[in-house]
This record gives sequence, structure tokens and C-alpha cells, in this order.
Amino acid sequence: MAKVLEGPGMGLLKKGGMSVPNYVVVTSTEWFEQSASAHAWLKESRLVVKAHEAVGSRMKLGLVKVDLDLAAAKRAVKEMIGKTLGGMTISQVIVSEMIPHKEEYYISVQSTREGAELLLASVGGIEIESNWDKVKKLSVPIGEIPSKNELTDLAKRAGFDKDLVPAVVEFAAKLYQCFDQEDAQYMEINPLVLRSTDRELVALDAVTLLDADARFRHPDWDFSFAAEFGRPYSESERAVMEVDSKIKGSVKFIEIPGGDTALLPAGGGASVFYTDAVVALGGKPANYAEYSGDPPDWAVEVLTEKVCFLPNIKRIIVGGAIANFTNVKKTFAGIMAGFRKAKAAGRMNGVEIWVRRGGPYEKEGLAAMKTLESEGFLIHVFDRYTPLTDIVDMSLKKESAASPRDQARSAKAGSGKAGEARR
Amino acid sequence: MSIVADRNTRVVIQGGPAGVNAARRMSEFCYLSKAPLTVQAFVFPPDAGKTIEVPYGGEIVSIPVYKTVAEAVVNYSEINTSLVYVGPDRAFAAAKEALNSESIRLVSMITEGVPERDTKLLSRIAQEKGKIFNGPSAIGIISAGECRLGVIGGAFDNLILSKLYRPGSFGVITKSGGLSNEIIWIASQFADGVTTAIGIGGDAYPGSDYVTYLEMFEKDPKTHAVVIVGEMGGDLEERAADWYAAKKRRIKLMAVISGFCQEVLPKGMKFGHAGAKEGMKGEGSARHKADRLREAGAIVPSTFGGLGPAIKEFYQELLLKGLVKESPAVEPEALPKLPKTIDELRKNGEVLVEPLIKTTLTDDRGEEPLYYGYPASELINQGYQIPHVIGLLWNKKLITQQEAEIIKRIIMLSADHGPAVSGALTTIIAACAGISMAQAIAAGMIMIGPRFGGAVTDAGKWFKYAVENKLSVDDFLNYMKANVGPVPGIGHRVKSVKNPDKRVKELVGYVKSLKIHTPHLDFALEVEKITTAKKDTLILNVDGTIAAVLVDMGFPVESLNGFFILARTIGLIGHWIDQKQQGSRLIRLFDYLINYAAPKKKEVPPLK
Repeated sequence: MAKVLEGPGMGLLKKGGMSVPNYVVVTSTEWFEQSASAHAWLKESRLVVKAHEAVGSRMKLGLVKVDLDLAAAKRAVKEMIGKTLGGMTISQVIVSEMIPHKEEYYISVQSTREGAELLLASVGGIEIESNWDKVKKLSVPIGEIPSKNELTDLAKRAGFDKDLVPAVVEFAAKLYQCFDQEDAQYMEINPLVLRSTDRELVALDAVTLLDADARFRHPDWDFSFAAEFGRPYSESERAVMEVDSKIKGSVKFIEIPGGDTALLPAGGGASVFYTDAVVALGGKPANYAEYSGDPPDWAVEVLTEKVCFLPNIKRIIVGGAIANFTNVKKTFAGIMAGFRKAKAAGRMNGVEIWVRRGGPYEKEGLAAMKTLESEGFLIHVFDRYTPLTDIVDMSLKKESAASPRDQARSAKAGSGKAGEARR
Repeated sequence: MSIVADRNTRVVIQGGPAGVNAARRMSEFCYLSKAPLTVQAFVFPPDAGKTIEVPYGGEIVSIPVYKTVAEAVVNYSEINTSLVYVGPDRAFAAAKEALNSESIRLVSMITEGVPERDTKLLSRIAQEKGKIFNGPSAIGIISAGECRLGVIGGAFDNLILSKLYRPGSFGVITKSGGLSNEIIWIASQFADGVTTAIGIGGDAYPGSDYVTYLEMFEKDPKTHAVVIVGEMGGDLEERAADWYAAKKRRIKLMAVISGFCQEVLPKGMKFGHAGAKEGMKGEGSARHKADRLREAGAIVPSTFGGLGPAIKEFYQELLLKGLVKESPAVEPEALPKLPKTIDELRKNGEVLVEPLIKTTLTDDRGEEPLYYGYPASELINQGYQIPHVIGLLWNKKLITQQEAEIIKRIIMLSADHGPAVSGALTTIIAACAGISMAQAIAAGMIMIGPRFGGAVTDAGKWFKYAVENKLSVDDFLNYMKANVGPVPGIGHRVKSVKNPDKRVKELVGYVKSLKIHTPHLDFALEVEKITTAKKDTLILNVDGTIAAVLVDMGFPVESLNGFFILARTIGLIGHWIDQKQQGSRLIRLFDYLINYAAPKKKEVPPLK
């Protein structure tokens, strides 16, 4: 799922034939002044100014200003742009016209296993949370579009006035079509309002989640996706995303401030179990990371460097299940190169490295990793006979679930493997 | 016994290189299981009509490539399964094509990054046709001892370590590819291994989910328990719990769930597979899933590490109840072994290979080529130039700056001699006939021989013979007349004493000005004095001059023609480019340039 900011979200609605307020997205006061001379509505309407960033609770943070005239809007734009809040800088502001209205409604479409659900209510705005029972649903199977009859029935069930039903049906049909054609996963308009001047339905706000995987068939998606966790991506995160977009396989990296246990595990599945294991023992992960799909060694090297450069880390967990086709020797070569660079930069002092892995060329990869010991790294290397997350237990100096390992070890004793579990 | 994939499964693979790699892995498994090769055809339009070679043990099997699934199933009527390995933009069309094929019952999609809308549409098609659509992003399906679809199971060694050559008692369903292997391994360490393991892919709405396969495992008598690996997000695990709780089930359900870390991590921070996203009000959280599964009666260890012991405990119960019998361990020696490659054997010192060729010149096995031991980049950094490289590669010597200057001059003055000479003319004719550069240059090159540019080696050879044997000029000329013929390097078609070759004068002048020891050049100049006295055009020509100078510098006789060939290549390339840029058209000789001395027209007699 990929979040789209309000501006481009409104753009998609407009493209789908729905009415939205006039708006401009600006990145500087000068730009806004130019816009003001180009658009009559900026002079004629009351205005709303909002920070156009992926940041939650904008209202609380004072990043939404309403009912302004042009002069007040200019002051608000000037005040907001460049403002820093918890490490992020506001670089975009959206200015839109206020739409005079009395009634507020709610409409959304969300992806489901079988297709999508259209949700509609004749209440909206901030009241929707407390009136969730008034939201009525229509399920639409994949490959179909809702019929006029179904939509009319939905509008009636949602309690719309008889004379408003045709307009609501038309709007809902357009929203559904927009959702379907744009490969959306979620589209929410709250509030949807009835403009007093011409009794037209207008979308006042748009929450839009698109399917990033469908980008290849939407050349007109000229916007970038917003970070989904209430803060913009860091420089390191962006660097890894950049690498990820270029390679076969994948590398992923998210920073978690304040942690001391760095994670460098393989696989989208195992990586979360490793994170769970750290948390379960009261440890503090410093990041989430993952590499998979036999990525090139240079990509793993970049990821490794970013992991090693996380501040104040005490240990690095290089975990992984038994790979199907990721070459352990090759990906470990990338990790080792990253470690060496970090060490040369003085980043590995006192940092303990814990390794567990299996898969193609596991013997060679683990043996190579073990040689780092002689280069002065604090490293512990384990093979497949040590259960997946035991290295986390050991690294956090807690009681490890030792019994299964011992059993496994004794079951296979004497087969001669690399790794500490054998010694 | 098994589900979904068995000994009757026959496969078409849709896709290119990744599909070929899968076919090789699948073939390894077939060989280990002593089963015939499951992959019968590829569908990959760019390579349609060709075959792809896949090793099966020590044998190489050729598998045909078709343009469409329809063609593949017409030729191989046993095909009942398709594996989709094409890119996300074409995956939908490929899978749809397979689902629409009458004989295909199962389509498993490995492709990652497929739009959700496409997956849902494919699921609907599969459902309407009563077929199975597995994936996308699904690593594959493996039934121990029977069939492997995709690379699930990993490397050959892992197949053996995880006892995948014979069925156990546990079914496995996972989203994660890496964890499928891990669970198979755990099941083989703590119990008797797996019946079938299935990767359903990590997308939010996979084509087939846990319930699809739980239903099948329930009907497979060999499977006594099924391990599922779940994760936060979506409701697939809740659906599995509902299925398990709905009525008394024969199989035991076991599960591990990931994503508990979400409870303490900053809100909104989501990661893992595409489908790992939390719903509203705790629904879809790891805890919610684990609780629901436990309530339904499943065994859910609180951590991943608890899974092995749980499997072991359940397996011991099965043994006690007599529901399964301990399967005797198969000695690895009794299993088929993959033939080793020459590389592996050599590394282990198990085989001695007689080299096919031997080189005493260069080595390209390191980071960069070594020219007779010297790294190319260091030569550049130290200021060495092309003539030095020639010295190394043709004479295995690092020559002096003075010698390099002589070689440079030789090349510069031999680079071209106009369009009329055999080499250039031939290249020009070829260029006009539309021939490409390499071939046109080669055509010009073919002209180099005894009468054109190819006399350098021979000239050097005989001058060297004379100097070595301390022959007088007269003795030399007599010897040549009696045993060889005209002296190579002496004589020119148009140049003469009166019309000297300025190139020769330049080179001789320069070399003589260096005041170095030049016995061969001196000898050649003495020869010229005698021969030009006999005939004006019998001058020391450019071939002879170059030869004498190079032999003086110690270059081996074998290398000498190389200087002319190298130098003239510059000119030939120039002529080809020139003709190309002019857009020259095909040329042919005019009749009046040919003396038609052939017989006049004759009557053809009847054939006898």
C-alpha cells in the first residue's frame, strides 16, 4: 500500500469526474504569491491552509488554518513552509477554497479479498467515528461494477433524502470507477459535502492508498508516495530504497530511534520473527531490515553499512532461515565488505555480531564469515543446527531455549559443521 | 501421500531465466526421488522453437520452448500444472492463459510485485473453473519423495538433510519462502519430516490461503499435523482458526505467528511481506491471531523457538499411539548423488585435467589482466604506452623509451598507403558491397602476403641469417639467388633511387641518429647499394627497413609481420569508415578495364 498526499489524491478524484475544491500545492511563499495572481478564486474565496506532508494530527500541531482571506493565507503559508517538527521540515503546503455547506457525508471504497466494499453514510466529518453504525456497506465482486439499483438501494439505506439519492448514486459510481481504474486499495472522502451555492456534491478531503505494484500501468502517476508512518523517510532509508528499486531481489531498511540491537536478517518472513525475538526478551531494536531474493552482494553491502552506522548499537543480528535460492556465500561477502568498511570508519568498536544462516553455499558463507574473527571483529557464527532465533537469546544474555538446540545437536553429532554450535 | 503435487504432476514453466533455474532445481529433486522429469515444456515467446537444456543426473535433457500454453499442452497432453515466472506486468496474462487451458489444474505464480487487482481477478477465474491458483510471490510447493514445483527446498544438500526424498507426517503452509525451508528442516529434525510443504506467498490476498490447503491435508491420511507460519495483517490466520474450530478435525493444527513486535514499536511502522498490515482495533495483530488459533484448539508456541519442541512432542504422541512408525534413516550413501562438476572435483583434488591450451603470456584470472605479469592499470599509471604493451605481448620484454619511440614511428609511417594498394582497395570494395567493418577489414587483411606488406618477416629472417652467419653481401645475394629467389625487403613497384621512399629515409635517418648498434640495418643498407647498382628499383623497401630495425631491437622473426598488420589496420578501418560516411554504392569493374581473352560463344552440344 502506498499513501498519496491530499493534492495528488484530489487530482485523481478530479480526473474521475468528481468535484473537488480549487486548490494549489506550493513549496514557497513566492510561488503562492504568483498563484494568487493567476487564480481568481484565491482572492474571492475563504481559504484553508494545510501542511502537505505525511504527518498525522495536523490539526493538533497547528498545521491546519481555516477560514482565511488571502492576506491571512499568505501569512499562514509563510509561517508553515520551512517549519521543523520533530526532525522533519515542512516543504509543501496545500491551499484550498472553503466550500460553503451545511450537510457533511461520508463515502469510501476499500479493497477486500473478493473485490471491494463501498461504504456510505449520510453523516460525516468528525462525527463519523461515533456514528459508525450509520455507515452502510455494498460489496462489489472483483471484475464487476455496482449497478444503479444497488447504489440506489445503498443510498436509501444510508438515509439520504430522496431528492439527493440520484446525485449520491452518480458520485458513488464515479468513486468506485476511479478506485477500480486507478488500482486503489483505499479511497476515503470525509467529509463529502453539498455545496450550498449550487447543491453539487464536493469532496473536501481525500485519503488515498494506491497499489504501488501497479505503477507500471499508470504512467500518469507523476507523484511520489508518502511515508506511511507519520514521518518522512530518513536519508539512509531513502538510500536503501533507491538500491532496492534497481536490483533483482530486495533490500529493506527502516530506522527505529533509540534502539541498541541492530537487525540484518534475511527474508521477509524470518526478519519479523527476529524482530519479535528481540522485543520478546525486552531488547530494543534499532531498525528493521531484510534482504531476500538473492540480491547482488553490493546491495547487501550498502544495507550493511546503513545498519552499522545506526547510532549507539551494541549488537548486530545477522539472522536468516535456510534459503531456497539466495546464495549465502555471495550475500555474506556483501555483508562482510560492509562490516569492514564500518570498522575502518571506527563504527564497530564493542559491537557484537551474531550470525545464523543456512541455504545454498552455507558452508562456504559461514566459514568466510568466521574469518572476521581474525580481523578483530567480535563475531559469533552459527549454522542451521542452531534454531533460528537462538542467536537473539544468546546475544541478549538471557536464558536461551537451549534444550531443542542440544537435542538437534546430539541428533546430528559428528557430521562436522562450521559454526560455534559444533565446538 | 501428499496433496496438490504428486508423481503425476507434469509442468509447463512460463518464463525465462528464473524459470530455467527452477527447472534445474526441480530436475535435481526428480533425480533424487528417482522420478521422471516433471518439467515438459517452457512457454517463453522470445525463445519459441528452441530447446532448453536441463541436466537430469548426468544426462542432459532438451526441453522444448513454445510460444503459447496451448501449443505446449497440445504437444504434451500430460501437462496439468503451470509455474509462472514472468514479470509482474505480464504475469496476469500468462496466468490467465494457463487457467484457460483445459488440462491445467494448478497455476502457481512465483512473480513478486503483482498488482492486487490482477491477483483477485485470477483468483476469481480459478474459482469459477474449479482450479487452484497459488501465489503470487509463492516460492513453490514440494511433496516429499514425489514432486517439487519451484525452488522450494533449496539446494540439493538441503533436500537430503531435510529428508525430502521420502514423506513424513507433517504438512506445512507458509507465506514466507525462507521459512518454508526452515519449517521443513525443523520437521525433519524433531520428527519424521513433511508430506507436502506449500508457499502461498506473502501478499495480502493470495490466490489460495491456509484453508484451501487445510481442507486437502485433512483428507490426506499420511498428514497428521499441519504447521502454518502466520504473520500480522489480514485475516488469513483467523480464517484458518475458524475452519479448525468449525468441526472436529483429523489433523492437528500448529502455528507460529510473527509480528508481536508491533505492540511496542512506534505506531504505524509496518514491515515484512506486502500482506503484513494491521487492521482496525487490534484485528489482524499477531496476538489476535495467536489467541484465535489457540481458542480453536491449535498448538501455538509463544515464540518461533518453541515450534521444534512442540513438533517433537506431537510426533512422540503419534509414535506412542502407533499412528506412525519411525521411518528408518536412509544412509546418505544409498541416495542418488548429483554428478560433480569438473570445477568441484578439481577443488577437492579428485581429478587431474590435462590442459587444452597453454599460455606463457597473460593471465586474466585476477582483478585485471596481467601483461606478461604486469597489471595493465599500473603500466598506464607509470606512463607506459602502446609500444611497451606491444613489447610485452610480442616479445615478453619491457622495452626502453627509445625503442618505444622507434616502434611508434614504424606504426605511424605504415598506417596507410592510399586507396590503391591491395589491402585498402579490397577493404573499399567490401565497404561498397555493404560488408560490416570486421569482415571488410579482414578482407583487406587477407591481401597481406608475399607481394603486399607481408615481406617483413621473411626479410627479417634472411637479414638475420646473413648477419648470424657473417655472410658478405655478395655471398648473401648468391645464396639467395641459388636457394630462395628475390631478396625479401628489396625492391619496389614504383619507388627507385631517383624516386626514393620518403618513409624509409625518415626511419633510417632517425634510427641512425640514435647512434645505436644496428648490424641488420647496416647490412640491409649494404645490400641495397649492390642491388640498386644492378637495377634502379631494387631499393631497400619499407618492409625490409622495418624488418632490419626490429631484428636489431631483438624482436623475434615471428612477430615482424605483426607490425605491418597492426599499423595497416588503422588505415583499413579509416577507409571503411570513409566509404561508409560517403554512402558509397556497390562498385564493379567497367568492361574496358578487363581484357576479355576468354573463348568466343560456342554451340552447346546435346548432353550425352
